[in-house]
Amino acid sequence: MSDSHDDHHDHHNPGFLQKYVFSTDHKTIGLQYGLTAMLFLLFGFYLMMVMRWSIAYPHEPLPAWMGWLFSEDWKAQWLTEGKLPGETYNMFGAMHGTIMVFLGIVPLGFGAFGNYVTPLQIGAPDMAFPKLNMWSYWLYLTGGIMMCASFFLESGAAKSGWTNYPPLSFFADAQYPHQFWTGQTQWLLGLVMLISSSLLGSVNFITTIINLRAKGMTWMRLPFFVWAMLVTGFLLLLAFPPLEVAGIMQVVDRMFGSSFFQPSGLYHQQLGLSDASGGGSPLLFQHLFWFLGHPEVYVLLLPAFACVAEIIPANTRRPIWGYKSMVYGVLVLGFLSFIVWAHHMYMTGMGPAVSAFFQTTTTLISIPSVILLTCLLISLWGGSIRFTPAMMWACAFLPMFGIGGLTGLPLAFNLVDLHLHDTYYVIGHFHYIVAPGILFGFFGGIHHWYPKITGRFMSRKLHHLHFWPSLILMNTLFFPMLIQGMAGFHRRWYNGGDAYLSADPESTNVFGRTVLEHIDLNIMMSWSAWLLCVAQIPFIINLFVSWKAGRKANSDNPWNACSLEWATPTPPGHGNFIEEPIVYRGSYEYARPEVEDDFYAQWRKPVEKVDED
Amino acid sequence: MEIPYIVEPRKDTGLNNSKIGIWLFLASEVMLFGGLFSGYVFLRIYADYPWPERTLPVLPGLINTFVLIGSSITVVFAWVSLKLRQWRKFQIYMGITIVCAALFMVLKGVEYNAKFHHQAIRMDDYTVIEGHSHKQKNAVGGAHKNLNIKAKSLTVSLSRVDDIYFDVLDEQYSKAGFGLANDVKLTDGTVLEQGTAITKELIDQAKKDFLAALAHNSNINIELGRQAWKTVKSKHPGVKYYELVGDQTLKGLVDEELKKLKKDADFKAETPALNFVSNEEALISVNPYWGRLSNKNRGKAGRLTLKDDTSIIGTIADSSITINVDGIDFRHTITKAEEKGIPKDTAIKNSWLLKSNENMREVWAKHKVVTKKLVEYLEPKGKKPTENDIYRINWQEIAGLADKSIEDIEKLDHKEIEALFPGDIEGFAGPVHKKHGDPDSKGVAYPEVVVPRAQVRFESVFSPRWNTYYATYFTITGLHGLHVIAGALVLAYYLFFGRKMYEEKPEWLANRVEVGGLFWHFVDLVWIFLFPILYLM
Repeated sequence: MSDSHDDHHDHHNPGFLQKYVFSTDHKTIGLQYGLTAMLFLLFGFYLMMVMRWSIAYPHEPLPAWMGWLFSEDWKAQWLTEGKLPGETYNMFGAMHGTIMVFLGIVPLGFGAFGNYVTPLQIGAPDMAFPKLNMWSYWLYLTGGIMMCASFFLESGAAKSGWTNYPPLSFFADAQYPHQFWTGQTQWLLGLVMLISSSLLGSVNFITTIINLRAKGMTWMRLPFFVWAMLVTGFLLLLAFPPLEVAGIMQVVDRMFGSSFFQPSGLYHQQLGLSDASGGGSPLLFQHLFWFLGHPEVYVLLLPAFACVAEIIPANTRRPIWGYKSMVYGVLVLGFLSFIVWAHHMYMTGMGPAVSAFFQTTTTLISIPSVILLTCLLISLWGGSIRFTPAMMWACAFLPMFGIGGLTGLPLAFNLVDLHLHDTYYVIGHFHYIVAPGILFGFFGGIHHWYPKITGRFMSRKLHHLHFWPSLILMNTLFFPMLIQGMAGFHRRWYNGGDAYLSADPESTNVFGRTVLEHIDLNIMMSWSAWLLCVAQIPFIINLFVSWKAGRKANSDNPWNACSLEWATPTPPGHGNFIEEPIVYRGSYEYARPEVEDDFYAQWRKPVEKVDED
Repeated sequence: MEIPYIVEPRKDTGLNNSKIGIWLFLASEVMLFGGLFSGYVFLRIYADYPWPERTLPVLPGLINTFVLIGSSITVVFAWVSLKLRQWRKFQIYMGITIVCAALFMVLKGVEYNAKFHHQAIRMDDYTVIEGHSHKQKNAVGGAHKNLNIKAKSLTVSLSRVDDIYFDVLDEQYSKAGFGLANDVKLTDGTVLEQGTAITKELIDQAKKDFLAALAHNSNINIELGRQAWKTVKSKHPGVKYYELVGDQTLKGLVDEELKKLKKDADFKAETPALNFVSNEEALISVNPYWGRLSNKNRGKAGRLTLKDDTSIIGTIADSSITINVDGIDFRHTITKAEEKGIPKDTAIKNSWLLKSNENMREVWAKHKVVTKKLVEYLEPKGKKPTENDIYRINWQEIAGLADKSIEDIEKLDHKEIEALFPGDIEGFAGPVHKKHGDPDSKGVAYPEVVVPRAQVRFESVFSPRWNTYYATYFTITGLHGLHVIAGALVLAYYLFFGRKMYEEKPEWLANRVEVGGLFWHFVDLVWIFLFPILYLM
């Protein structure tokens, strides 16, 4: 297919398919990534809303508005009298996690923002390998569709958590004769596709950043955004392959009957003694999974940090505080993220020596994280802050991410983890990072670069309608999780603790009483989740309507920012820059005395007689 | 628009784009194979069964090593020829490279093929035998190790029944004359009469009807459930489901309400399964990986359950496996015996294999002599035989000593015994068996053992299924093979479609070949690690 588009560059009027569908332009691909990722995010959100019904109202049939996506046959098979049984809940939970992480946040951060902004910021005409870029997107889409379409297979979609731990995942769907057409196998194959997509993407990004920087764009003049993308690229490049291996090994286990991850003498209540040879190790999978899994956290996080690090200086009108420490911080962070993985596995009995090692590295990694956050926080100090929509999101990002990060510290210690492992505390912790943290950063990014992409601003009114409810509801949704978690609520209870509930306050069953005291939080959290969905409607409207009807941005550089993407025409054409850009200085030169404007753009020719700095 | 540094290197980095790209890609490949090698180390360290050591035939692997190294050299020559603008030479060297790749894959195929035809059985007492299985006497279609049952009745689960199984077994079902055990009334009023022969159409019809009834009833249930909750909640606003209203929880009230509502509801009768019977006991023969027997003892009543929940009830028929044994391994037997405190020799003597088969006893007796000679040979050197030497009998020994008596062997010393064993060329990819029932065919007549199903703990050909070592072997070499194929395709593309580019932009083509060559070297390097780890350690 791609060969027919080979001489793409020579045509000035590519057809619709070439321009919008099979495009090799990094900006179109970035937008494709962004829109697809947001669709997946919505779907993941939907799954979660159904789950939250089962948690808040475990005995009531799903309301009609939740069931519209399912056919009657599907409901007959997967719901019992309209309620979510454990297996279906597990399926939704597994797919919610998978979709949000692999199909939503990573493609939105790295695929969309990275693709659109990185080449512009370094002054490149496109990515180093445009065709490869296109393939990355299509592999991602294929993998995503494979995973989601498996809801409609006879076996249903994957149902063993987003971590897909064997032997649970080995027994799931094991009763189906053709393993290829089961949700579990499709999940694994989809994952292999996604990983291949990320690999191609990361090779492309790193090459682009190393080799396509504009004249004068030295390493220390790079915007922090680009540094973050570079580190993200390396994380994807080196951390993902072990999971790809683990995925392939699980596929071999499922389709060719091997026992990489099946111990000897495995027994299942319904299926009986496993007919696999045994001799394998479930722990091996956990090691391979989390070798990716922890760097993956930073793959999610760094693009959000990157967006915020661009928004804050542009709206405080002062240079980012501690640019160099941020750069070194992010490099150390990237390195350390490779040696912390087993802090997800304290409960597996790895032994105290191993635990102590990972405990140490995990506490170490909080240092660069705190450096990054602190630099951004101090950047606000003494700035003349403009509360643009993007800036509001960035300001919300800082405390929200702070809560998420700090609640993670107790989990780093294995003694505390004994109590908190697999409780709602963990869920609260990482959702604080991902939802109000990372997503807020992305919302900010969307508002920030929207005028460059479309030539128009997004509506401020709709922004307020989106921002304030989201900020409040995120907290009423995730903060109770921390409380419930400390009370011992397990993260996989499909009916929100109903099975452990002792409704008698005088009961001697202490745990039952604890559950009783905290179970009503479920209702508050569930309503927060559903209202949060409503709060996203203004954003969706804003995103599409402003495209054609928003207030026009009359300048190519509406925020008066310094970095190179604002030197392009709006929207940037194929090849981005009209003239080859030359960079004269760093990317955060706000409020410089040499010039009258309060910003000294990277591409602006030096004013005469300026001291070389 | 033109992407810079496609051909020319950038001054400050000294590299062009594709050079950076390929090195990054190779870094990720290192992590990919690194993950697999780590997996291998992990599995080997924590294995709870005797690890197969040096069981692969070395010669094909060794030849392949040299083939790949050779091709790595020729690919460099091809690149140099391009740099010197010598198209003809480029063609020759690149041609050799691709032929090497093909040769590599052919040898790989030969190896794989031998494995896929080599059967292994782990006995109930953990004795492992290896060899070639042959056709079961009674099984349908020349199967080697089917599960067989003389079936009287058959239950098909309509929600789970699977077309593929049905298609394969259809013929056997109809030959057995299965018919419906009783009248089945469908929801649309049709009656499937007793005795109707089993057909795919029949099952499809019933399945469709069942699913429709299921959806209908589920809809009613959802509707009534919502209604019940609404009624009760409006009577007791603000009460949580677990809170008491009088002496009952709110949920209890809803359940009562629901019961009342359901009484008058228009539910349809669901028929989740169809039962069939046969007048005679007909043989049904099924692939062993499709289902399991409730009972492995021949002649006893039992049930064969397929993975799609089809349940076949009758008398267990002969499901034994006949195998010509070319390898015996007692290592697992003795570890298991030691756990129970049984002396090693007793465990071996009492193993089903030695107790039930004269030939096997003889092979073991010969092996004891061989071990004795080995001890005599090693003693002056201050060494001892390994557990592998003592408790494992490999095909070379069985073949080499097949027509020697114990007295003959007693007369020989260790070196002389070893000289009797067939060499690497004779068993290029493994032992060669005489064809079953054809005494004139090439190869060795290995002793035959009939293993009843009750003695089989686990069986498999030498595929990923057999154990984690073979799973690793096939996965790593398989992935490596895919890399060889992909690399060869790319190089072949430059060879066969590069002429135009050579004429227009020769330097660009040279760059591409260089990058392809780097990948090719990586593929070679992986093999250089693979060969000693999998074949020699």
